[in-house]
Amino acid sequence: MSAKAMSLANGRARKRNRLAIVFVAPAVLFLAIFVMYPVFYNIYLSFTDANLLKKNTSFVWLKNYKRLFSDPMFWKYAYNTLIWTVFSVIGQLALGLAIALVINRKMRGGTLLRSFLLIPYVIPAVTLALVTKWVLNGDYGIVSLLLQKAGVIAHRQSLLALPKGAMAALIIVNIWRSYPFPMLIYWAALKSIDPELYEAGKMDGAGTMRLFWHITLPLLKNTTIVLLVLRIIWTATYFDLIRMVTGGGPAGSTMHLPIMIYQASFGTFQTGYASAISVVLGALLFFCIVFYVKKTGLDD
Amino acid sequence: MEKAHEKTRRHISKLALDLVILLLIGMVAFPLLWMALSSLKPSVELFKSPPTIFPKAPTLEWYKSAFSDMTVVHYFINSFVVAMATMLINVVFGTLAAYSLTKFQYRGRKIIVIGVLSAYCIPPIMLMIPLYRIIAGMGLSASLAGVVIGHLTVTFPFSVWLLMSFFRKIPNEITEAALVDGASDFQTFYKINLPLCVPGVLSTGILAFILSWNEYLLSSVLVSRDTMKTLTVGLANYISATEVNWGVIMALGTATTIPIVIMFSLIQKHFVEGMTAGAVKG
Repeated sequence: MSAKAMSLANGRARKRNRLAIVFVAPAVLFLAIFVMYPVFYNIYLSFTDANLLKKNTSFVWLKNYKRLFSDPMFWKYAYNTLIWTVFSVIGQLALGLAIALVINRKMRGGTLLRSFLLIPYVIPAVTLALVTKWVLNGDYGIVSLLLQKAGVIAHRQSLLALPKGAMAALIIVNIWRSYPFPMLIYWAALKSIDPELYEAGKMDGAGTMRLFWHITLPLLKNTTIVLLVLRIIWTATYFDLIRMVTGGGPAGSTMHLPIMIYQASFGTFQTGYASAISVVLGALLFFCIVFYVKKTGLDD
Repeated sequence: MEKAHEKTRRHISKLALDLVILLLIGMVAFPLLWMALSSLKPSVELFKSPPTIFPKAPTLEWYKSAFSDMTVVHYFINSFVVAMATMLINVVFGTLAAYSLTKFQYRGRKIIVIGVLSAYCIPPIMLMIPLYRIIAGMGLSASLAGVVIGHLTVTFPFSVWLLMSFFRKIPNEITEAALVDGASDFQTFYKINLPLCVPGVLSTGILAFILSWNEYLLSSVLVSRDTMKTLTVGLANYISATEVNWGVIMALGTATTIPIVIMFSLIQKHFVEGMTAGAVKG
C-alpha cells in the first residue's frame, strides 16, 4: 500500500472513530454523572453524619455501620427482606416457567394469549397497590369477604392487618406483577431447544414428565441461573408495592431494607445512616450484579 | 381398544390445558377488571356486601368528580410531560449510543457496554439519596427536570441495551456496501441503518414512556412542590389517606392504567423480539 493510500485509510478510520465517540459521548456522560457518581457519593455519605435538617456534615468513619449492625431492627428487616425475596423470586420463576410451557405449545390464538399474559409487566405499581387495598378491605373487599366466608380470617378482618397475612399477600401480588419477565425469557429458551431431542426421547419411551425432567430442565439451567440473579437484585431492592400497600406495617412485619432506607432518609432525615443501609444492601447484591454482567455482557 | 384409550387421554389433557389457560386469563384479568367495574359502580353498589360483579346502574360520577379537581388534572399533565421528555431523550441519545456500540470498533467500547449493563442493574433505591442531593444542589428540586433525570437513570441503560439488540440484527454488510459506494458514516447511519430500525426505536421509546409513567420512588422523592407531583405520587397519597374515597380512586386507577395497556399492546411484538434477542443470554 502506498503511503498516500495508507494515510487516507487511517484518516477514514479516525473519522469513523470520531463519529462513534460523538454518538456515545452523551450516554457515557449521563451514566457517569447520574448513575456511577451517585454510587460512590452514596458510599461517601455513609461515612458521614449527613442529615437533611443540618447544613454541615462531618466524617464519622464507621459510626453509621456500627450503629446499624447493633440495631436489632436492622436484623429483623434484613430477615423480612430475605423472606420477601426468596418467596417472590421462586414464585415468579416457577409461574413464569409454567406459563412458558403452556404458551410454547402450538395452538390457536397462542400469540394473542402470550401478549395478554405479558400485561402485568406494564401495570403501574400504584394501580396494583390500590386494587390490593380494595380487594383486601376488611369491610367491602371481595377477596376479604371470600376469605372470611372460608373461615381463614375473622369477620370484618383484613389479611393486611395480620403480620404474616400482610407479607403473604404482598408476595402473591409481587409474583403477579413480576412473572412476565421470566415467562418471556423461559419461552425464548424453550423455543431454542431442538425438537429432535424430544423425538429421540419419545422413541426411547419416555413420558411427558420424564422428557421435562431429563431434557427440558437441564437445558434451562443457564437461563434459570441468570434469571435468578437478575430477579434477586430487582426483588430485594423493590420498594413501591410494600410502601404503598402497607408502608411496612402492621407492626413492622413487612418492613424490609428498602423501606428502612426510605424511612431513615426521609422519615427521620438521617441521610448518612440511610446511605449506610443502602451500601450494605448494595454490597450484598454486588456479587449478583458482577455475576450477571459477566454472564451477559462479556460475550458481546 | 388401545387407540380409543389414547384418544380419551388426549381429550382429557386438552381439556386440562384449556382449563389452565382459562385460569391464567382470569388471574391476569381479575384485578384489572375488578378495578374498572368498581369505578363504574355508584356508592350503594360499591359498598354492598356481598358485592355484585357487574354494576347494575353504571355511572361515570367518579370520573366526573375525579377530573373536576384541578390537582388531578395537573398530576396527569405532569406525568405526561415527564414521560414525553424521558421518551424523547431515550430515543435520541439511546439510538446514537446503541449504534455506536454495535457498529463500530474502538478502544473503551467494551468497558462502556459493561458500564451500561451495570447501570441497568443498579436499582433506584440505591440512587435515591445521592440523586436527591445532586438534583437539589443543581436547583432542580422544584421542577420536573429533576424527575426526568431520575427517570432517565431507570430507563436509559435499559433502552440502550434493548436498542443494541435491534441494531445487532442489521447485517454489517449493508453498512459496508454503503461505505464502498461513497456514503459518509453519518449517511450510512441516518439513511440506511436508522430506517431499518424504526420499529425497534419507536417501541423502545414507548416502553420508556411507560416506565416513566409508572415510576413512583424517584418521582416521590425528587420533587418537593405539590403542583409538580406526578400521577403515581398523587394517587399513592390518596390511597394512604385516612379517608379513602374508593370510587374516585378506582376511576383514577383505571384512567392511569388504560392508556398504558393500549400503548403496550401496540408495541409488544417488538418488545418480545428485542427482549428475547438481547435482554438475557442464557
